Amino acid sequence: MQKNGPVALIFHVLVLTFVLAPLVIICLVAFTPENTLSLPTTGLSLRWFEAVFAHPDFMASFWNSIWLATFSATLAVAFAVPAGLAISRYTFPGRDFLNALFLSPLIIPHLVLGVAFLRLFALIGATGSFAWLVATHTIIVTPYVLRLVLAALSGLDRSAEQAARTLGAGEWTTFRRITAPMILPGITGGWLLAFINSFDELTMSIFVTSPATVTLPVRMYMYATESIDPMMAAVSALMIAITAAAMLVLDRAFGLDRILVGQR
Amino acid sequence: MAFLTLERVSKEFGTFTAVRDVNLTIDKGEFVSLLGPSGCGKTTTLQMIAGLVEPTQGRISLDGHDITHEKPNRRGLGVVFQSYALFPHMTVAQNVAFGLEMRRVPQAERTERVREALSLVQLSSFADRYPRQLSGGQRQRVAIARALVIAPPVLLLDEPLSNLDAKLREEMQFELRRIQRKVGTTTIMVTHDQAEALSISDRVVVMEDGRMTQVDAPYRLYEQPSNTFISSFVGKTNLLAGTWRRSGAEIGGVLLEASAPEIAAGTPVTLSIRPEKLLLRDAGAGRLDGRVASRFFLGSQWLFTVETSLGTMTVTIPNQGEEPPAEGSPVSLDWSPANLRVIADTAAAA
Repeated sequence: MQKNGPVALIFHVLVLTFVLAPLVIICLVAFTPENTLSLPTTGLSLRWFEAVFAHPDFMASFWNSIWLATFSATLAVAFAVPAGLAISRYTFPGRDFLNALFLSPLIIPHLVLGVAFLRLFALIGATGSFAWLVATHTIIVTPYVLRLVLAALSGLDRSAEQAARTLGAGEWTTFRRITAPMILPGITGGWLLAFINSFDELTMSIFVTSPATVTLPVRMYMYATESIDPMMAAVSALMIAITAAAMLVLDRAFGLDRILVGQR
Repeated sequence: MAFLTLERVSKEFGTFTAVRDVNLTIDKGEFVSLLGPSGCGKTTTLQMIAGLVEPTQGRISLDGHDITHEKPNRRGLGVVFQSYALFPHMTVAQNVAFGLEMRRVPQAERTERVREALSLVQLSSFADRYPRQLSGGQRQRVAIARALVIAPPVLLLDEPLSNLDAKLREEMQFELRRIQRKVGTTTIMVTHDQAEALSISDRVVVMEDGRMTQVDAPYRLYEQPSNTFISSFVGKTNLLAGTWRRSGAEIGGVLLEASAPEIAAGTPVTLSIRPEKLLLRDAGAGRLDGRVASRFFLGSQWLFTVETSLGTMTVTIPNQGEEPPAEGSPVSLDWSPANLRVIADTAAAA
């Protein structure tokens, strides 16, 4: 690995500080005993965390977001694994189209998707349903799973599958016993990334949630437009903690650079 | 007794013909090697026998049954892949047990057969390791145990030794032969290494450009190659181009005595003589005079290149404990005419 010169080193430190400082500060603010957004200079307090857990709307939104992320990540896996197998192994008419279609939510701005879904739901009378919210989130998180599944499949030694076939395994058994366990890191990594992306999603969700299905980011957004108090900081700190925990699990289990950069 | 038969088997990938018109009959218990340079169609042939690639034309039958279109999981053949293809998420024992599990062999019998298979390849104490914890040679033996434990009628080996270092490769050659003798399974091995093919096979099938060009016992293949490609691919040789006369070949105005009953006078021919069949004599004492261009000491033998009026010849002589002629010294080459192999130049052999 190349060593950084002093200028590059200063530059990297500045970039990291610039990126991390707001996160660090918001986490510190979460522990303030004061009534305003301020750094905890007079002492530490958990009162704003207590306020979050005592707030029924925030708790409802939190669980709503957890379930939403769980369902949409799981559904995305259910779509992405067969799609990944088809795209990586077979040549068929429309293969490139299918690939592009599955990955397109990465390119289309979420604002545009939000407006489009809002219009669609109004047309078919699906506004406000949790199931349709799950559907929209599944669409935007599937690309993450698909990319990781495709990466896992491209690095797979196909002769292991052939070996299983010659040993008497049918196609389904071969998938279940050999292929699936071998691409499991890709599937799990994809699921976690999908979960995090769904859990954090705000822009599109603003349009497609109803009062009954408000997600945590949307709840925070709504709350912040009315009043700013340190409870927002506490919620933010919780979200950062959950996301960081998921990333940590991901890194420990499979290596983040392997998943995100696609190195094996 | 024909056990495995390939009749006019061909495989085309688009416009490319990987294998054409292969006819091969293999007897029960035989060890046959498919030998050829890369891209000659040997692996495709093996994959067609395994059922992993479907032939475009032809028929493959095993023990009297047509298996041409049978799925690989119904053929029950043992296959050892070049990359070993072990299941990375299973232990050695689980890898070996997989085929038995697919056959719904009861647990007790399964354990016993896995134990036997692992002891056959001398890996009994490694049953609970994962493939990544094994060396190349050990993985290779696990792959063999996994293929053999299902008691396959035919064992197919795809370049089984090519990923091993030279010393281990030699050991594994003996090991493969030992296991095959002990179990008696009909075995087909694909290899590009002529030494490997010669040392362990009962018969060698040479393939070039998707065609079978010679099928013979290793010794006969070496001594009587049917074309110039085989004579230089299997072992080393000196090739001399000339014209056939009634009692020998005329090369560069010199008539070299040789016998080849079926060749008409005037036919262009190539003479092939192995480096170890050439003898070094004092200048003037042999059939062809020359001068030592270089010599290399290889331990058990000396390798000479000798400049002659017919071209540069390679000669190997055993190390007899005396120093042979130095570089630059005049020598003479001698040989027994019976060791001159005459190959008629045909379109296929050119």
